[in-house]
Amino acid sequence: MITTADIYPVLPELFLAVAAMALLMYGVFRGDKSTGSCSWLAVLALIVTGVIMSLLPENAESAFRGQFVVDQFARFMKWLVLLGSALAVVMSMNYNAREQIERFEFPVLILFASLGMLLMVSANDLISLYVGLELQSLALYVIAAFRRDSTKSSEAGLKYFVLGALSSGMLLYGASMIYGFAGTTRFDALAALFTGPSADPGVGVVVGLVFLLAGLAFKVSAVPFHMWTPDVYEGAPTPVTAFFAVAPKIAAIALLVRTMVGPFGELFAQWQQIIVFISIASMLLGALAAIWQTNIKRLLAYSSIGHIGYALVGLAAGSEEGIRGIGVYMAIYLAMNVGTFCCVLSMRRQGVLAEGIDDLAGLARNHPMMAAAMAIFMFSMAGIPPLAGFFGKLYVFMAAVNEGLYVLAIIGVLTSVIGAFYYLRIVKIMYFDEPADAFDRTAGREIGAIMAVAGMFTLLFFVFPSPIVEGAGQAAAVLFASG
Amino acid sequence: MILQAISFYAFAAVTVAAAVMVISARNPVHSVLFLILAFFNAAGLFVLMGAEFIAMILVIVYVGAVAVLFLFVVMMLDINFVELRQGFLQYLPIGALVGLVLLAELVLILGSWAIAPDTASRAAAPTPAITETTNTHAIGQVLYTDYIYLFQAAGLILLIAMIGAIVLTLRSREGVKRQRISDQVGRTREESVEVRHVEPGSGV
Amino acid sequence: MIEIGLSHYLTVAAILFTLGVFGIFLNRKNVIIILMSVELILLAVNINLVAFSIHLNDLAGQVFALLILAIAAAEAAIGLAVIVVYFRNRGSIAVEDINLMKG
Repeated sequence: MITTADIYPVLPELFLAVAAMALLMYGVFRGDKSTGSCSWLAVLALIVTGVIMSLLPENAESAFRGQFVVDQFARFMKWLVLLGSALAVVMSMNYNAREQIERFEFPVLILFASLGMLLMVSANDLISLYVGLELQSLALYVIAAFRRDSTKSSEAGLKYFVLGALSSGMLLYGASMIYGFAGTTRFDALAALFTGPSADPGVGVVVGLVFLLAGLAFKVSAVPFHMWTPDVYEGAPTPVTAFFAVAPKIAAIALLVRTMVGPFGELFAQWQQIIVFISIASMLLGALAAIWQTNIKRLLAYSSIGHIGYALVGLAAGSEEGIRGIGVYMAIYLAMNVGTFCCVLSMRRQGVLAEGIDDLAGLARNHPMMAAAMAIFMFSMAGIPPLAGFFGKLYVFMAAVNEGLYVLAIIGVLTSVIGAFYYLRIVKIMYFDEPADAFDRTAGREIGAIMAVAGMFTLLFFVFPSPIVEGAGQAAAVLFASG
Repeated sequence: MILQAISFYAFAAVTVAAAVMVISARNPVHSVLFLILAFFNAAGLFVLMGAEFIAMILVIVYVGAVAVLFLFVVMMLDINFVELRQGFLQYLPIGALVGLVLLAELVLILGSWAIAPDTASRAAAPTPAITETTNTHAIGQVLYTDYIYLFQAAGLILLIAMIGAIVLTLRSREGVKRQRISDQVGRTREESVEVRHVEPGSGV
Repeated sequence: MIEIGLSHYLTVAAILFTLGVFGIFLNRKNVIIILMSVELILLAVNINLVAFSIHLNDLAGQVFALLILAIAAAEAAIGLAVIVVYFRNRGSIAVEDINLMKG
């Protein structure tokens, strides 16, 4: 039975679902000329969702017989997801209008994808995990292929779909084994089952967990399930890539953290090695493969694989400090990536979007402000103090060191140094190479504003780190308090 | 008992054989038809287990909608299937080896299944006795109450599928003649009928 | 052998799962067969879930299977739409053709 106690915790999601459907009706009746207003209304809907979420009481609550849970961890991650989605909608408007793919379904699909992400972050049952994941993925498959008359875009959609469907199958097979051997799909019941001295998870649950991890690793694009990332990032329209790089990654990381720390927290010894392996492989691949890239979107794809590797260092530590590190890392990752993609979206020459790294040559002379912003993001991604990216890495590496994972931390530092090479190469190209033609100044005021805010955040994070760090700290604490 | 065993082996054998044909048939139309056969026999397995509702849904949703959709797309797209078959045998030995190892592991693990201790206390929705309600009734009782959240979310997923399919494939083509009922109805006598006087013997 | 128990059903499911994974590797060029292989994997998952559900005396597994059926139908619809779009652009659905982007 549905009671009001069930409705209150899901109120933000309920609002977002109704808003998305209302927007769909609005768009259908007004036609494609309403895309601009639809986009702004979508941004408004995302903001209102966030406001509703913050107005609700701050304690941890579960609803619908424990299938849905909302706590500080969920709130923190949901804020990041909503912010990422709203920025992606704003960034897409100018681009879609110029490329003549302006269709009102775009913001609607982003709203549905964000709804799926919110459900993922709040999933407290294997069934709701799967349903949230698919709600997100199906919307993402469509918007990857959104530019349907472009071969590249449809190819990106096809690749993403085929590998995504396969990974969902793996995840489900794992979930079915866990259900069969543990007798339940609920996270709290699973956690209770594995707690205690006599608890024996059994080989079936562990194998199921491996399948589940494989499926989730695909969704965060960690090595060895990363092969779709560069192709999809390059092929999808640039604002879609910006969206893919931010919100779904944050939601998937949040889901991974909750699943591993919550129900399977007691099986830490079993999954820690897997996470350590995935983390090291992602960091190495992200650093090495990016060196030879000539396309900026592909470079950012490898960069995001690397960033996921660094974030997973925090999960490998398995401590409250490590999870706090992940929270901080994802917040900073959001700012850096959004800012960088704003720069990429501004790289337009005679009306055509330039995507090569060489196209940035001499940017400092033609567009000093944009070059400065890009330089800040690149230095930050490389992890150079005192920029934000340095602190993100610092928190996760400290957590790893405190848990005795010295090798992992050392590999992390080494790959950061290798990674710094290609980030700094971009800075060198911008500041010391012969200038290419200037870019069109048509990116729009919104893009410039987002770029400036993201740049200020990245630059000045060390002055006011406390809101983010404390928020992430509370988020991590609640996961370990509940067990 | 013996009847049940015979049915099981018949359904299971046909399901597996059909699945083999799905992945190895030369013509994708045959693959789809074998997929339908596999679904029918899997539905038979579900009935044997006592899950009639899922069995019927499998036939209605999968055979009725999904498989027919596959058939439709395979036939709509003009694909050179011979070309797609090239390199088919290239991965066969290594694939078969990996597959057999995976299968052996899975069977070993699944063979170790035993009812976990105090499972009954963890059951989210205990099945009522068959003497009280039917399988369909029992699922209906939990689906719209305990699982309403997931049920609604699944509805949203279907909505996304609809939006997505329309966004991706709907094209408004130029030069297509459509019926406009308002124009037809709005025709007047003056603009559609002309009275001419024809001289006898001269034609129109 | 005569007594049909849970392990029989799980074995059928394991065979179907393996065939599905195998089919994806075998038909690397043909996206439609790959999609059908994914459907086989999902069928295996459903057999697993229903078998466990019956033997655990818990309806949750059957509800899970029901949701998977609904969602897989949606997934197939999206997948086929993407294939149609791709075919319109390229005139082919061969996956190895998908090499505009490499690396």
